[in-house]
Amino acid sequence: MDVKQCYEKMGGDYDDVMSRLRTDERIKKFLLKVAEDKSFDNLCENLKTRNIEEAFRAAHTLKGVGLNLSLTRLHKSASAMTEALRGKTEYSADFEPLFDKVKEDYELTVSCIREVE
Amino acid sequence: MKIHGGAKYANDKKKILIVDDSELNRSLLSDMLAGEFDIMEAENGMDAVVMLQEHELEISLMLLDIVMPQMDGFEVLAMMNKKGWIKNIPVIMISAETSSSYIDRAYDLGAVDYISRPFDERTVKHRVTSNYMLSVKQREMAEMLSTQVYEHERDNRLMVEILSHIVEFRNGESGLHILHVSTFTEMILKHLLTITDKYPLTPAEIKTICNASALHDIGKMSVPEAILNKPGRLTREEFEIMKNHAADGEKLLKDLPYRRNEMLIKISCEICRWHHERYDGSGYPDGLKGDDIPISAQVVALADVYDALTSKRVYKDSFTHEKAVQMIQNGECGAFNPLLLKCLDDIKDKLEKELHEVSPEHKMEQSLQVNVEQMLKSSGSDLSDRTIRLLEHERMKYRFYAQLSHEVLFEYFSSPEMIKLSEWSAEYLGLPEKIINPRESDFGTRVFSKVDFNRLMTRMAETTPENPIVEEKYLLNIRGQNKWNKVIVQTLWSDDENPKFDGALGKLVDVNNETEEMQQLEQLADHDALTGLLNHQAAKRKISKLLSDAGDKKYALLFFDLDNLKVANDVHGHLFGDTLLKTIADRMKNNTRASDVCARMGGDEYIIFMQYNGDPEPQVKRIFNCLTKPLDGFDVSISMGIALAEHFCGDYDALFHMADQAAYAVKYSGKNSYKYYNQLVGVSDKTEA
Repeated sequence: MDVKQCYEKMGGDYDDVMSRLRTDERIKKFLLKVAEDKSFDNLCENLKTRNIEEAFRAAHTLKGVGLNLSLTRLHKSASAMTEALRGKTEYSADFEPLFDKVKEDYELTVSCIREVE
Repeated sequence: MKIHGGAKYANDKKKILIVDDSELNRSLLSDMLAGEFDIMEAENGMDAVVMLQEHELEISLMLLDIVMPQMDGFEVLAMMNKKGWIKNIPVIMISAETSSSYIDRAYDLGAVDYISRPFDERTVKHRVTSNYMLSVKQREMAEMLSTQVYEHERDNRLMVEILSHIVEFRNGESGLHILHVSTFTEMILKHLLTITDKYPLTPAEIKTICNASALHDIGKMSVPEAILNKPGRLTREEFEIMKNHAADGEKLLKDLPYRRNEMLIKISCEICRWHHERYDGSGYPDGLKGDDIPISAQVVALADVYDALTSKRVYKDSFTHEKAVQMIQNGECGAFNPLLLKCLDDIKDKLEKELHEVSPEHKMEQSLQVNVEQMLKSSGSDLSDRTIRLLEHERMKYRFYAQLSHEVLFEYFSSPEMIKLSEWSAEYLGLPEKIINPRESDFGTRVFSKVDFNRLMTRMAETTPENPIVEEKYLLNIRGQNKWNKVIVQTLWSDDENPKFDGALGKLVDVNNETEEMQQLEQLADHDALTGLLNHQAAKRKISKLLSDAGDKKYALLFFDLDNLKVANDVHGHLFGDTLLKTIADRMKNNTRASDVCARMGGDEYIIFMQYNGDPEPQVKRIFNCLTKPLDGFDVSISMGIALAEHFCGDYDALFHMADQAAYAVKYSGKNSYKYYNQLVGVSDKTEA
């Protein structure tokens, strides 16, 4: 699978990322970093331990990553998560569906990235 | 934290600091910018501040995220404002936050630009390059400006000096007169401001008064040369003509076709017209009194008189500095403002030095420099490239020496609180080079004990700029080993008028070996070389201490000697004699407790000082039997005397004397036995009653 196909499959905007980062090489290099990025793990962990402030930061970072690489789908769910967490200190059941969506999108994104050659 | 790209020093590429908690974002930006810049990265605000602390002068630009752990972007900006870094380092915000309140706040805190995500390579490159160029240009402009101001100021002064020199030339005065008057005026005025707030002069006004002072005598242009340079006394008429020079000087300036309102002209007018007024109203041309005479004219009048006194004129010789000051203070040369006389008195020594020792040319150049610096200070100019290179050089030098010295060197910064270890020290201690929040770190809790570290901090806080050294000895834990170290610290202070505690430089010196050697020496001094038992002196010290702390405890002193050492030596040889002495020592150690005191007094005499409960007899008997066991077929025989310290209030010597007497009694009555002092015949037994 090439980079363009990967973007289609994981719900990203290939044209946008290409216009900004300019080469497939570079896009690929940073896609691989998404797979290594710890923000998603941090989000899971901090939600589990109810550290909402840290969870906000993790979601925020994940959102930034999605934005920078035009991972539209992941960016959208991470944004929703970020806004839900912003300024909160207490855990809320509202987080759960939002988190499930982030999880789903993140896993899809990572599995697509793994298939890039 | 890391630094990309080749050599740390002497790199032509400009450095950019990228601060973002997402590794991915940092590498994206670094990828885009690495072609033109050297990239440094920090993963949170605290890291960034630490890097700024160290590389302030090398960092040309900073990209800063807002939402970060430890210290967020706003806090970094606030710190940069506090430390003044924001003036020299342009900051571009790079946040995913696009709400205008965030952006406004960043701008308010001094950020120069804002790049929103997603990052676009062209935008990032363009913004960074143009902001960088802007700051470089600004720096260049500041340097140009400073050169311009300097030259302008020099030309100005030159004109004033030429003009006043013409007057002096006609007047036959020394060419230094105006320079002296100007220097004198400046020093008196500056001092005046420190002793009273009656004359609220700004630095700019003082400068203008000094410049204007050069013109005080231009009115003499209208006085005929024959009068000006007449060697003898002037006639009444001549003096009246001479006196006109004051009003004439003012008129000359007032008739200037333009710029009559400039401060320099206004002050020059005051000085020309009134520099011959007297504080008591007896001067000319207007007979003004007290502070009706402008302070500018008052000071110049004083300066003029002083310099006239100390210079040679056609009508008089020169007086010494001391004589001139004395004449002025005595009122021999007219009446002056008492505050000015006080100034003269306060700074007379400094005055003499400045006026008569410093070369006039140097003096002029120096004051020009100071003036230009002062002018530029308020406009916030930058450090020159040369200064930065010099600093870089100093830092290299420090690292080099630190590397060689194999001492633990550290720097302490008070805000934000952190410790920086030299490379070698960090490795030696097994700690990172940069330690944030040291009170809570391994450095402040493990290497130092918490108590020690807090004590050191307190001692540092107690220092003063005059007395900045702290020296303490602490037992440190260095990679798991306890070692005595001397800690030497010099505290650093800001050079404001009220110096503030900024941080400190420090070093740890391992004194463990010295301390241990000292302890070993002490050990040697206290022990008998052959047997390893305490010697008499040490035993006496210890026993006296035990006796004085005895309380309810009961002690017995056992003193004994060998009955047949001579036989052992004679029959079995000296080697066996030594073995016998050592064996006795070993038996003593094996049959007493660690808290008991065993000592060899010298020769074949020993003592044991031990605690007992109830009846001492079983213990004494057991020890006696053990000591007297045969050694290699040789019958060991001793005579032992025992003194009990129960209800005893004498000192060690008395107790020893009692045990000695008891042992003597044993010797006398057939040896190889023991006796208690209180059971000897003829000894009254009051203690047992």
